[in-house]
Amino acid sequence: MAVLRVLSRQGDTAFEWDVAGVREGNAEASAAVREAERIFAEQRARGATAFRLWPGRPAERIDSFDPQAEHIVIVPRVAGG
Amino acid sequence: MDAAADMLIVEFLFLVLCLAILVGARWSRQHADDELSHREAQERAEALLRIVLTETEYAQLGERGYLEVRSPSQPKRTYRVPQGPGRVAVHEGGVEVESLCVAPVEWLPSGDIVLAHKLMIEGNEQEYLRRANHIRLRAPSRTPIAER
Repeated sequence: MAVLRVLSRQGDTAFEWDVAGVREGNAEASAAVREAERIFAEQRARGATAFRLWPGRPAERIDSFDPQAEHIVIVPRVAGG
Repeated sequence: MDAAADMLIVEFLFLVLCLAILVGARWSRQHADDELSHREAQERAEALLRIVLTETEYAQLGERGYLEVRSPSQPKRTYRVPQGPGRVAVHEGGVEVESLCVAPVEWLPSGDIVLAHKLMIEGNEQEYLRRANHIRLRAPSRTPIAER
């Protein structure tokens, strides 16, 4: 399962989808990935930054949703204090 | 007439008392709900840190109270992200040269703040530095623990 996590005051909220199911054209998996993509776009529009995470590697910023990514974390906008 | 007026006052006071009890109970319940959701948010953030950080990074955070993140662009530079409130210390070759005041615009549990810094540094360092307020140290200080 792939997961998109959005950091917020509630802690992170996770949205999961089945990468293999999307590849096979499973309707439920496709709906889940569309929902994750919608949330991704919504958060980006609010100024948040998205990162693709790989085990043992530095995080990588992504500007467009990657349905093949196993782990995406969205961080709210940061500002100087 | 006086008896009727007294009765009205007693009824009014009784109503005020009932209202105060209701408001107090509601506030108490709301406060308990806030405490619970705050605690749950902290627990979720801690669980996410365990997933994302390596064992070494997680142990360092617990032992030293900060997470050291390597700069992806400058081999000698590291950032020390505090576990709690405070500035991010920038080290060049083991010497602290400046601190950064930068944070997410919305409140996050402390574990998620550490994670947000790490991801921004690793994946978006230039933008992170551009948004931060930089506090240069007058005389760079060498901290012995940095060389371990």
